[in-house]
Amino acid sequence: MELQDKPLTEKESLDLITQMINKAKDACHDTGIAAIMWGAVIAVCALVKLSEIHFNYRLPFNIYWLTFAAVIPQIYFSIRAKRERKVKAYGDEFMDYLWVGFGICIFLMIYVTGSMYNEWKPVADEYYKLAGHSSSFKFYEFNSSLFLLLYGLPTFVTGVSMKFKPMFWGGLLCWVCCITALYTPVKIDLILLALSSIFAWLIPGIIMEKDYRKAKKELAQANV
Amino acid sequence: MFKDLDPILHSQLRLAVMSLLISVKEAEFTFIKEKTNATAGNLSVQVQKLKEAGYIEVAKQFRDNYPLTICKITKAGIKAFEEYVTNLQSYLGKG
Repeated sequence: MELQDKPLTEKESLDLITQMINKAKDACHDTGIAAIMWGAVIAVCALVKLSEIHFNYRLPFNIYWLTFAAVIPQIYFSIRAKRERKVKAYGDEFMDYLWVGFGICIFLMIYVTGSMYNEWKPVADEYYKLAGHSSSFKFYEFNSSLFLLLYGLPTFVTGVSMKFKPMFWGGLLCWVCCITALYTPVKIDLILLALSSIFAWLIPGIIMEKDYRKAKKELAQANV
Repeated sequence: MFKDLDPILHSQLRLAVMSLLISVKEAEFTFIKEKTNATAGNLSVQVQKLKEAGYIEVAKQFRDNYPLTICKITKAGIKAFEEYVTNLQSYLGKG
């Protein structure tokens, strides 16, 4: 129905306001593609690493380089989403910066843990020479916990501010896995990492994508 | 004592535009057109009236050589909208 420049009764006015606010809310759907991609990429990286350890083989490259490669499609998705976005919600900027900040933190964390490992390695080698056996302190045992700690933050905040329960629970799961990974061997840490990325990003991303498609379909039907 | 409803807002299409804009930070003209099912001509006239009243800001830009009109509610617009809703509620509550 086309809206006209006509006066309304009080009841019609309130109904119209409610209807339009709901329409505006429905328009602010995320496509979920980035969440699907990152959930899948992290899960694949963790599971491939697990298989390398379990079956005792090594790929000719570090599987985690895949995360760097995934930045390229991420930039493409972001630019496309920005261009297609006909409406900007109040929380959009906050969300954008939250996830950009998270990305920066992840790359800094990789750099920091790499630097720490380089400092620790000679000490561990020296210990081996003196004691005749490796130290019980395994530096890489803590890596997963540090990353899970970071994964939880933007996921939890997004879940709360978007009132999107799958991400809220996904964020909490990351933190539960963060604590658990402290007390489990590396293989289990990698399974926890894969599980967290699946439940924090991949599944919520699929739900978001479904909602987005549904909203788009409803809009197309309404416009017929 | 009932206050008169703001005549600028008490019109179907202008109220729809304001209700959309109060919910978001800013929106393209095409988005408003899509949601209100109004014709471009009619919508342009109503958007202009809201702009003249100081309730919305209209920015004209270009994207890929195509004109792009972006509408955003102003502080005065938010205040007027809130007053309008309060008055409506008092009408419906006491009427």
